Amino acid sequence: MQLLISSVCMALTSAVIGNAYYQKQQFYPAVVYITKSNASMAVIYIQFFVIVFMFGKLLRKIFLGTLRAAEFEHLLERFWYALTETCLAFTVFRDDFNPRFVALFTVLLFLKSFHWLAEERVDFMERSPVLGWLFHIRVGSLLTMLGILDYVLLMHAYNSTLVRGPSVQLVFGFEYAILLTVIASTAIKYVLHAAEMRTDTPWENKAVFLLYTELVIGLIKVVLYLFFVVIMAKIYALPMFVFRPMFFTIRNFRKALNDVIMSRRAIRNMNTLYPDATPEELRQSDNICIICREDMINHSKKLPCGHIFHTTCLRSWFQRQQTCPTCRLNILRTPAVNSTAMPRAGEDAAAAAAGNPAPAAGGAQPAPAPTSQTPAADTNQGRGNGPAAGVNGPPPTFAEIFGEANGLPNGLPNMGGLPMVPPPMAPVMPMMSPFMMPPTAFAYFTPPFLPPPPMPLDLAKFTDEELRAMEGHQRENIEQRLKLLNNINLMLDSAGVMMTQYQNLAARLQLSVAPQIPVNSGANSSREQAAAGPAVYDKPSTSATARAQLETHQINSTPVATVAGAEKVTIEDLGADEDDEPSTATETVSLAISDADIDENSSELSELRKRRLKFLEERNKSSSGSELRTTVE
Amino acid sequence: MAGSALRRLMAEYKQLTLDPPEGIVAGPISEDNFFEWEALIAGPEGTCFEGGVFPARLVFPPDYPLSPPKMKFTCDMFHPNIFADGRVCISILHAPGDDPMGYELSAERWSPVQSVEKILLSVVSMLAEPNDESGANVDAAIMWRERRDEFNTIARRLVRKTLGLPT
Repeated sequence: MQLLISSVCMALTSAVIGNAYYQKQQFYPAVVYITKSNASMAVIYIQFFVIVFMFGKLLRKIFLGTLRAAEFEHLLERFWYALTETCLAFTVFRDDFNPRFVALFTVLLFLKSFHWLAEERVDFMERSPVLGWLFHIRVGSLLTMLGILDYVLLMHAYNSTLVRGPSVQLVFGFEYAILLTVIASTAIKYVLHAAEMRTDTPWENKAVFLLYTELVIGLIKVVLYLFFVVIMAKIYALPMFVFRPMFFTIRNFRKALNDVIMSRRAIRNMNTLYPDATPEELRQSDNICIICREDMINHSKKLPCGHIFHTTCLRSWFQRQQTCPTCRLNILRTPAVNSTAMPRAGEDAAAAAAGNPAPAAGGAQPAPAPTSQTPAADTNQGRGNGPAAGVNGPPPTFAEIFGEANGLPNGLPNMGGLPMVPPPMAPVMPMMSPFMMPPTAFAYFTPPFLPPPPMPLDLAKFTDEELRAMEGHQRENIEQRLKLLNNINLMLDSAGVMMTQYQNLAARLQLSVAPQIPVNSGANSSREQAAAGPAVYDKPSTSATARAQLETHQINSTPVATVAGAEKVTIEDLGADEDDEPSTATETVSLAISDADIDENSSELSELRKRRLKFLEERNKSSSGSELRTTVE
Repeated sequence: MAGSALRRLMAEYKQLTLDPPEGIVAGPISEDNFFEWEALIAGPEGTCFEGGVFPARLVFPPDYPLSPPKMKFTCDMFHPNIFADGRVCISILHAPGDDPMGYELSAERWSPVQSVEKILLSVVSMLAEPNDESGANVDAAIMWRERRDEFNTIARRLVRKTLGLPT
């Protein structure tokens, strides 16, 4: 086909030239005749392009050998775009249009194609199992040649612009400058790939180097494009023909910037949050990094869920997603709690580090949080359960929620933010003991009570939805979070209403009960009181039974504590394998919470309570669960 | 030392060759490009695709296994979860974040833990049990749901076609 075209072209050209000679007999008049005749010129143009094409094929044979199918496809695709843009450029410089101008653009396109091919080749290095010395010689000489040509042409354009003022050379100068950056990045990539090939071990920092190369080159390109657009817009018209490449360059730059940020964060997380896997741990597991399927000898990290990976594999994965590749535990969420727990509660950190995947993972979510907050809670309690202490308690924690949420970069802010909700519960729960204290205080810290067990579960549920909502915009997250906080607020209100009922009851019950309870609370640990709390508030609020219940509460406080313990474990489990469990409970709870939106009246409080009981029932089908129910009812 | 994607693909190739799962053959189309594979999938027994051998092409991204490969049947297929042009639409092939059908859980999406073998096994089970909720091919989904006989006839014709038998 190509042969046919080129021979037809050859024949046409010879016919045209022969005809001119035949008519004019002499060289000079023949040339004039050809240039004057449009048809002859068209034939000459076509012949010119055919020759360029053949020359390109020759160079390709020398420098690249045969093209792969994918390379050819990409080349063709980019070529058509470039051609369209060139035609657009013609419109701006229609006054300068002459054969020389066409020739210059042809050379530009010609060189561009080779730049693309060189780029493809270098990218291919990473994928090819074996590369001979021929490959290196070819790529090396091609890159050098292209670099020199770009430089020479750039200098030519620069000088002619200086001498003759702005002309179409401006465009060429700019285009060659861009091509020079392309060559630079290709050369850097080539050197990096080649260096990696020479070593026997994977070169861990290559990805980082590549990333930064991309970033720097992207920045240079963006600056060049902006510069060019401004100059062109001032001297000629707005250069439509660079908009497409400029758009892609800016997009790539943004992506590179984003990658660099994500990568930095991943590296920071890895270095600070996760322990290196110890040799014993490596021996215990099957010692294969499941990301790259290679042995882990050194540089392995252990995630809070107990899964072990190569540091580098993990880092490149964390650049995309902040979950454990195996169990999809959200690592941003877990360490967020964990890190606060570590400095304060040593034993939790130790437990997390010690191994035991499931407890560690589970513990990382709800458990460390209370512990981490206990010191603060204790001091509050020590100060004497006063209203002031109670008032001081909640607000900072809410602020924490927001702070945490804002502090997290765009990744999965909600997941980081939400788990912080349990902590506010934790410090507040111990304060339940003084519930015979001045009534004003009650409304304040009792509320968080109603929902304590549901919260973590609900969060697990929310994360899934959030994840989807979140992928788009940060703003949505905040809205979602606000919604959740609103729900909590509503529940606080409803619990407050309930508390008023209790106060009324307590007033009717005489003060004789009152002294008993502080004594009791003093005797029990804060944890037990916390556990006892829910039991009390789950009681039906009829005045007839209230007194008896208050007493049973004292007696039963210890068993209830164990119940609460059991309940806690199940929550943790759920947190740990949220993917495995169908989490029906989660749905119930979220239902309850969404309903809390509507239920504000105290008349509907019983409904809320019923729901919660149902939830507890489901969670604890065990005997301890039923014990709780008997206690409650 | 070659790139990590290449090494992992080589490891998977070795694994698949040494210990091939039943009814699946897969490997690079040419040994100098490990990023394009061809797979042959036998239609699962006891289904309308039984007896057929369906060729497919897998194209791996340069950052495999961080991103999932693309899979496309190179023969004619009529199936609720396969686009008319042969592209396979199953959740394991979708990176978390892009959800063409808007219902998939992130738990069943791509992760570096997945592998070619798991993908192909998922495709086999997809052939056996189409998911008519996500209609990559809506016509096929409707037919599968409402006119199963007709669907089976078409499937059997495709099976004969892949085997080179007269339909």
